Amino acid sequence: MNIEMGKAAYDIGEAIPYVDSRIYSDRNIFEEELEKIWKKVWLATVHESELPEPLDFRTLTLAREPIIIVRGSDNKVRAFLNVCPHRGNLILRQPSGSLTVAEPSGNANHMTCMFHAWQFDCFGGCVDIPRAKAGYQDRLRKEDVSLKKLPCEVAHGGFVWVSLDSNVEPLSEYIGAAFDIMKQELDTEPLTIFHYHKAIIPSNYKLWHDTNSEFYHDYMHYFNRATSMQQKGYFERQYTAFPNGHCTVGSMEVKYDAYQGAADRVLSFPGMARNGWKMVDLFPGATYNIRGSSLRVDTMTPLGPDRVMIEFRGLGLKRDSMEEQEQRVRDHNTIWGPFGRNLHEDLLGITGQGVGMQPGSTPRRILHGRRENNTIHDEIGMRHFYKEWSGRMGRSPSDPFPEVAVAAE
Amino acid sequence: MNILAKSELKSLDQAIRETIYRACLLLDDEKFMDWLALCAPDFNYRITTYSPEIRRNMTWYQQDVAGLRGMIEMLPKHNTDHGRLTRHVTVYTVEADGSQREAKAVSSFACYRTMLDGINSHIDSGETQLFLIGKYYDRFRIDEDGPRFVERNVFLDTRRLDKGSHYPI
Repeated sequence: MNIEMGKAAYDIGEAIPYVDSRIYSDRNIFEEELEKIWKKVWLATVHESELPEPLDFRTLTLAREPIIIVRGSDNKVRAFLNVCPHRGNLILRQPSGSLTVAEPSGNANHMTCMFHAWQFDCFGGCVDIPRAKAGYQDRLRKEDVSLKKLPCEVAHGGFVWVSLDSNVEPLSEYIGAAFDIMKQELDTEPLTIFHYHKAIIPSNYKLWHDTNSEFYHDYMHYFNRATSMQQKGYFERQYTAFPNGHCTVGSMEVKYDAYQGAADRVLSFPGMARNGWKMVDLFPGATYNIRGSSLRVDTMTPLGPDRVMIEFRGLGLKRDSMEEQEQRVRDHNTIWGPFGRNLHEDLLGITGQGVGMQPGSTPRRILHGRRENNTIHDEIGMRHFYKEWSGRMGRSPSDPFPEVAVAAE
Repeated sequence: MNILAKSELKSLDQAIRETIYRACLLLDDEKFMDWLALCAPDFNYRITTYSPEIRRNMTWYQQDVAGLRGMIEMLPKHNTDHGRLTRHVTVYTVEADGSQREAKAVSSFACYRTMLDGINSHIDSGETQLFLIGKYYDRFRIDEDGPRFVERNVFLDTRRLDKGSHYPI
């Protein structure tokens, strides 16, 4: 190749950094990522407004572990493993609901495993085992079969953060100052959710995070070219990198009316310019994205080396009138809904990457080499992610299998 | 009070069913401007659903005629997959209000996507997948030219749309 590329270096000196495409397709690397990354870090999950009342719950899956998020009778949000300690069955099966509704196998206000009717309270404690004395005599105590409680905090705009690692560092240490750019918008007053949808895409999860971490792909979006790239301030937008693999993208004044049918924003968030646009990319798979009147939060659930579920949430202010919320919904949907102008194109982008780098395909070099003083088309966001990835995985992204002779070309 | 005669009601019922089916054929053929010609100037188009995840009704798309026309005109500037959408529709009910010269209809639809280039065209082109199911909740105004859509609510049962779409459903 007639370009300067280090053989195994990643982001060193003047060489053009690249990654080996097998980091996006290898099953062993994927399994290792679940163990070394996804089961070790804090992950943004649902929004607190999805469980507004005591005993409301949501269920989800993190790194193949089924999880319950429940608001206790004391109004505190907690997370538990959604697995019955008796025979390993799922306990709560619906995506959301209220424990105040009795189940066919159990009482109201409890989480009941339908299989053998073991019941748990909102604090995870086991409160009923049918015919316990007859079957276990004095060999089993209820307090020894509570649900496994997981580290859980509500923070950064009211999102519920969960970790599968009981010894995880405090959330504040993991995030550091990454949310400083968006703190006023997120934490001045309560937010509420107005949009949720999900997509399962035949591609690797990191490719979605890469897309959220670089803006060079704005060439794919006519909407962004017209309203942003051709407008003042776009090429001055700055990336800032933070410890633990997070990074942020600074704001600009978007000219929405440069796109036929779109209009400048009327509503905003505290501290946010009406047509401003800020992003926070969080290792290993979440993004907060505010465009003036709506906040979009992406969270990912990796399902395989070539399969990822992405959940998209749209949020506004809790105090919004119905008319204000409708306006935020319209603004959000123009670009970010499932029929919006940008999201469809972004998802097509990583679908194509999934074909180009499918499991078993010939290893290739994937360039991460744009350097533009950390401005908007610099690929510092991706390189910063892979430095963190490399540290946690103990592998170089450009030479992930040094023990194997085949090198990416 | 202008009450329609039974024969007129039957004829109106038939006209509304035909208008719904004609709209589907035009959408299937991507003749979007011709589809808009079946709509009144104050037509409102929405795609909605209910999320059991967040336990809220959601609007995923909403446009008036000018907005739809703009969206259609901008389609060539946007990247998309070029699979064809085909709508299979059954009109369940038509309720005409003779005095108001208005009518409502409820139809069930399934929208299929016959793939061209959405994933890997060499392998997937020609395959038909179920894309969406749901119901059309339509409202019509009837004038001397026949029924005109004044409202369409595309209520989706399908909530996992994966890549999504740039096209009206």
